[in-house]
Amino acid sequence: MTHAETQDLLLDLAFGELDAQRAAEVEEHLAGCAACREEKAALDEARRLSAPFRAVEEPPPGFDERILEAARAEAHHQHDGNVGKVIEVTGSVRPLGVEAARIDAHAPVKARPAERRRPKWMVRAALGGSVAAAAALALVVSTTLDARRTAERASQAQGEDYRIRVKPAAPEAVDSALHDAAANGELDRGRAAQAKEHEAAAPATESAPPAAVEKKQPGVVDVMQGPPAAALEKQDRVAPVRTPAHNVPAKRAAEMERGREQAADALAPPRDAPSAGARSTVPASSGDKVAPPGVPPAPAPAARPQAAASGQAAGPPAPRDDSQAAPPKLESRMKAVAAAPAAPAPGAAGMEANAQQARHAGDYVLAASLYRQAADLRRRDDDRPSAAWNLAHAVECLAAVARFDEARQVRDELSRLYPGETTALSAARRALREVDVPRTLPASKQK
Amino acid sequence: MPQEPTDEDLLAAYQQGDPGAFEALLRRHRAPLFTFLVRMLGDREKAADLAQETFLRIVKGAQAWEHRARFQTWLFTIARNLCADHGRRERFRRADSLDSEGPDGEPSMVESVPGTEIDPGRGAESARLRPVLQKALLSLPAEQREVFVLREQAGLPFREIAELVGVNENTVKSRMRYALLALRKSLLAAGVSEELAADEPAVDARLGRA
Repeated sequence: MTHAETQDLLLDLAFGELDAQRAAEVEEHLAGCAACREEKAALDEARRLSAPFRAVEEPPPGFDERILEAARAEAHHQHDGNVGKVIEVTGSVRPLGVEAARIDAHAPVKARPAERRRPKWMVRAALGGSVAAAAALALVVSTTLDARRTAERASQAQGEDYRIRVKPAAPEAVDSALHDAAANGELDRGRAAQAKEHEAAAPATESAPPAAVEKKQPGVVDVMQGPPAAALEKQDRVAPVRTPAHNVPAKRAAEMERGREQAADALAPPRDAPSAGARSTVPASSGDKVAPPGVPPAPAPAARPQAAASGQAAGPPAPRDDSQAAPPKLESRMKAVAAAPAAPAPGAAGMEANAQQARHAGDYVLAASLYRQAADLRRRDDDRPSAAWNLAHAVECLAAVARFDEARQVRDELSRLYPGETTALSAARRALREVDVPRTLPASKQK
Repeated sequence: MPQEPTDEDLLAAYQQGDPGAFEALLRRHRAPLFTFLVRMLGDREKAADLAQETFLRIVKGAQAWEHRARFQTWLFTIARNLCADHGRRERFRRADSLDSEGPDGEPSMVESVPGTEIDPGRGAESARLRPVLQKALLSLPAEQREVFVLREQAGLPFREIAELVGVNENTVKSRMRYALLALRKSLLAAGVSEELAADEPAVDARLGRA
């Protein structure tokens, strides 16, 4: 065995990973090679010095309880013949399936439908495997582990039915808009199926910056469990899924993707009379419809009044200013982007600021597009680090909405143009790591 | 000879609706996983959070799991990603921008570790070296640290670490080598001797497991 081969195998030897014959060969070389002996001795010494590290530490008391409870609930779920799969999206939604895909690290997204007596549309979506649709409708944002813990603790204290709730409160606008989507899905399955394609291309992942979560500002959407019977009754009729207005842009981003003109249309007040009528009880709603992309706002008279009901079921109405503050911002963002090709660019720095803002608002598609434009400008100025970082951010944003192919393209562009910007490059790679090492993640087996 | 069910057997049983199988899996992996996270983060509370989160994700993903990778690899993949996300969040909190990332692109996962002096007055039965070791470990780049912990403490063979981390085996070994040599240097500099280390209570965690 050569010296180089031995060097390669010293660690294997130290850790007992060699079979007897190979080990003997390495030992034989060691006997005659001082350099290798020295190296081996240093490795062994390091291992002895760090031996206390091998101590296994016990998790704190109570560690198992929540996990086991979840495990039992899940097992029960699968075999009570009552409902289909539980949908929990941790990460973004991938076309035709759900898996723990990558999302902006700052904003893991979960969706979990009710455990029993789920709203019909949810059950249908789950059973039908229309996961993207379900996720798009029922996306629940919980941006920190703490928020999640709170939710789960609360859930333990109550019954066993899930409902989805926002705290502290959310604009009725989104509620009723989401409800639109739900109603559409139920009324028109064909359309919903068509819509799936669009949703798959642009899943409505939503997020809030971590800071907002900690302060429990609007933007925290929690999965709560086990409401009292009265709440359940309402829940039966309507999906109490509500998101705050400033989380809507993800959906807007989805629309943009389909075409800027359509996006502009979406900003217009709703045209269908029944909707408008129903919304008169919830004045904040007009600007913020959330429907899966591709599902045109269809009149859904039967479902309408329930939207209002859910508004009461899930918590106090949001302060008016919360719900109304967002739409103008959205609109101006939309316009800024729509105008971008024609109007002179606002400069790289401004574009980066806008991109960051869009990102924080969960508007990942918009953010990615702005980052890429900013990268072009930076490149023209020969500011390579900034250009590289903008591309890296674009990759992160695209990965956050499961646009992995695009994300990879941008990553490749980054590595081609700026091979020296290793930090940016590694950030971009990291954003795609779960997707690029998929063998260790369970593949989705949605029917 | 009583045959212990493999992790994969247990997961399959759980897929069939046997919650007891999951409990067995949890018992088997809770402490090693928790320890991995403690070593990576230097923070027991955070480690407990992330370990719980890891298992919850396993619960949620169990139905869709296919026997294409070892359970343990899956488990540590999730934990590792949570770790990185945690680091990113921490950094985000500090700077509100990824642009301020450190030079190696890795988050500094821990701000400081208390108690880095060896107290010779304390008995050998106490874990007095632990903080010194932890500090030395945290001073390693995260990519070396994780390889070290996965090999030394979790007992994963290099080949599996390579699969988990997504680099080739030689890269893993080279990281391991740097990690060991750097640790040796900093531990010796901190006054850790082999005698002290040998006194430290340590459970030999599946060393040399293939």
